[in-house]
Amino acid sequence: MMSITCHNLEFARRGLEFLAYGSSSNASLERISVKDCAKGMLRTVNGGYKGRKLWCCRRDIGPCRVFSTNTPEVLVNARPPPVLDLNHESRSPASLTNLFEVVAEDLQTLNKNLQSIVGAENPVLMSAAEQIFGAGGKRTRPALVFLVSRATAEIIGFRELTKEHRRLAEIIEMIHTASLIHDDVLDESDMRRGKETVHQLYGTRVAVLAGDFMFAQSSWYLANLENLEVIKLISQVIKDFASGEIKQASSLFDCDVQLDEYLLKSYYKTASLIAASTKGAAIFSGVDSEISEQMYQYGKNFGLSFQVVDDILDFTQSAEDLGKPSASDLAKGNLTAPVIFALEKETKLRDIIESEFCESGSLEKAVDIIESCGGIDKARELAKSKAELALENLQCLPLSSFRFSLEEMVKNNLERIR
Amino acid sequence: MTAVACHNLEFGRTMLDFLACGCSSNASFDRFSVRSYAKGAVRNVNRGYKPRKLVCFQPEIGPQTKTPEALLTAVTADTPQVLDLKKELRSPASLTNLFEVVAEDLQTLNKNLQSIVGAENPVLMSAAEQIFGAGGKRMRPALVFLVSRATAEIVGLKELTKEHRRLAEIIEMIHTASLIHDDVLDESDMRRGKETLHQLYGTRVAVLAGDFMFAQSSWYLANLENLEVIKLISQVIKDFASGEIKQASSLFDCDVQLEEYLIKSYYKTASLISASTKGASIFSGVNSYISEQMYQYGKNFGLSFQIVDDILDFTQSAEQLGKPAGSDLANGNLTAPVIFALKKEARLRDIIESEFCDTGSLEEAIEIVKRCGGIHRAQDLAREKANLAVQNLQCLPLNSFRIALEELVKYNLERIK
Repeated sequence: MMSITCHNLEFARRGLEFLAYGSSSNASLERISVKDCAKGMLRTVNGGYKGRKLWCCRRDIGPCRVFSTNTPEVLVNARPPPVLDLNHESRSPASLTNLFEVVAEDLQTLNKNLQSIVGAENPVLMSAAEQIFGAGGKRTRPALVFLVSRATAEIIGFRELTKEHRRLAEIIEMIHTASLIHDDVLDESDMRRGKETVHQLYGTRVAVLAGDFMFAQSSWYLANLENLEVIKLISQVIKDFASGEIKQASSLFDCDVQLDEYLLKSYYKTASLIAASTKGAAIFSGVDSEISEQMYQYGKNFGLSFQVVDDILDFTQSAEDLGKPSASDLAKGNLTAPVIFALEKETKLRDIIESEFCESGSLEKAVDIIESCGGIDKARELAKSKAELALENLQCLPLSSFRFSLEEMVKNNLERIR
Repeated sequence: MTAVACHNLEFGRTMLDFLACGCSSNASFDRFSVRSYAKGAVRNVNRGYKPRKLVCFQPEIGPQTKTPEALLTAVTADTPQVLDLKKELRSPASLTNLFEVVAEDLQTLNKNLQSIVGAENPVLMSAAEQIFGAGGKRMRPALVFLVSRATAEIVGLKELTKEHRRLAEIIEMIHTASLIHDDVLDESDMRRGKETLHQLYGTRVAVLAGDFMFAQSSWYLANLENLEVIKLISQVIKDFASGEIKQASSLFDCDVQLEEYLIKSYYKTASLISASTKGASIFSGVNSYISEQMYQYGKNFGLSFQIVDDILDFTQSAEQLGKPAGSDLANGNLTAPVIFALKKEARLRDIIESEFCDTGSLEEAIEIVKRCGGIHRAQDLAREKANLAVQNLQCLPLNSFRIALEELVKYNLERIK
């Protein structure tokens, strides 16, 4: 296990998933052994930097974090959800795997292609590629592309996915991964307060480069799809990502934030990519614009529902389940749906937040307030209302196993906050 | 000066430009005063991060930023024959002369860039003022305008199209975004030790701002709706990333060949320039032969430019460069002078492979590089590329724009006379 995770120095997401699969939930890497193992691998990467990068086990890497990496823990410890049949030992990957069964081959091909796209460029990225795109990722977004592709293809009478469909899925996953890698740059800084500068340095550099590389690759593949509508659609997403991050960064601890702004930020950061994926898939299926638009709305509503659920879980899960301190969004000043609802009811909360939790115990107090005045409940309602809209958007599709999977994804997401 | 620079916490390049314009070359900020002033400005930006970011004077952020210092001192050191420069003339003035014929285009560009970046978010507004305010050289947009106007004449176009202008803006945004990300890497270098949280703050904003600008340029590019140009520029962004990775993975590698160095230089510098010049001619609607010549001009000029930069890293003093001399070498980035020297002096290899762990070894290496003609051979290479570039201009009608394009090539060489 150690030797494998050593390759994973810069890509915490993979490291976490790996650990989640087979070990106790609160894993952290033994520094010395990783360092020794890393020396060899790192030497070739960047001889100029004497310091070696170490990676603490990291959970906080963006919206995907709960979905892809925490869900295993959650489902193990939670009551068996009524909708899906899960045993104590089964991990969420199994249930998602069930949902994605109908596009399992498509996903396998995707994994192989991604590894070669990233690895072919440069031997340095090769081992990184194995980790980034090796077995273990949930591939929610590509799965959505394939599901919508196949669900809409049926309308037109397509039998097979086009290479544009496949390339679109790859592009989407590269963009998603690139954004996580850049988020890592921001978060890891957070988690390294103090002396590890050179380590941070090394991690930062490779992370920025790898993220840039993947954004660049996806832009290039996108351009070569030669479909102006899709090019513009996806370029908008990349713009939205950046806008969302900046929006968030500039409104930390801002208690005047409205639900609208929160939804807009959630759209930028999460739903935009998903909506572009589902719409793009429909465009390449050649269905009429009304259906494309419904697919866009499905992606948007599902994406928002997904993000709201993530934000709820940040409060409701224990540190052990989350693998990181609970309520870390709040701790950083990122005010999400539960908080926004609670702020409408309890003015004391505002004071605590504006103090930026300088007093010990104030964060815990804030979390209590949020829970007791129904902030979580109202957020749950919001997630459900978006989920319902998403289900409606699927009405235009013929009944098929693909449409069914798309519906189940929406419901499965809500199960996380039952 | 400090007051203005405070807005500029994260963007080293424009600080450098600013300083180059009017003060002594080896400037560095008094940390304490910047810090206290910054508290106010920064508070709104990101309250979650308690420490405040400071930026040390950062000259090493790419070819464009060296030029002010380099040209400044080149003027005082040797009087170039080609251009009439006085001792007091700053480089911006002479490049300004060259760019005179497209001065208005550049002004409009500056205004547009500020509003594109600033409109997005109030946080970026003050950054936008610094990034795109007066002081930047705008070499790449100038090239777009010069080629646009030079080629427009061929087809009888009277005015630049909005696609031309948008292309120039996109190019400058991409260039700036890459510098900002380079800042992330370099600034880490310059902060060995304790300033982690400051790095944190700087890193975050720098990564975000760079991402934002890449994203904006991709979006504008897509909305130009010209597939050929979209593919051309997407290739550049891919090349940038490839070049950085290539460089990072071959540090201190004494087996590097000249070919690889030229490819890396192409990826990192010439690719964007050649896409600019070719894109400009595509929007002028000239035939593909001329577009191809413009591409080659950009490529050859870009390579020449980079080689000159790499030479200056050795030949200029720390004071002139504003940073220690030979920092490319110190970082393990082996450029043309070194590659040539390695062929002659085996001892150099040992020193480099030791990664300069012994004190004085870096200085020794620089000495060897100079002594065995590495610099001279690199100068020849720069001239060779420059000659090719001038040849590529032959297909253009003789006009002030073509002359400016030629002069730019020669001006670049003056830096290493």
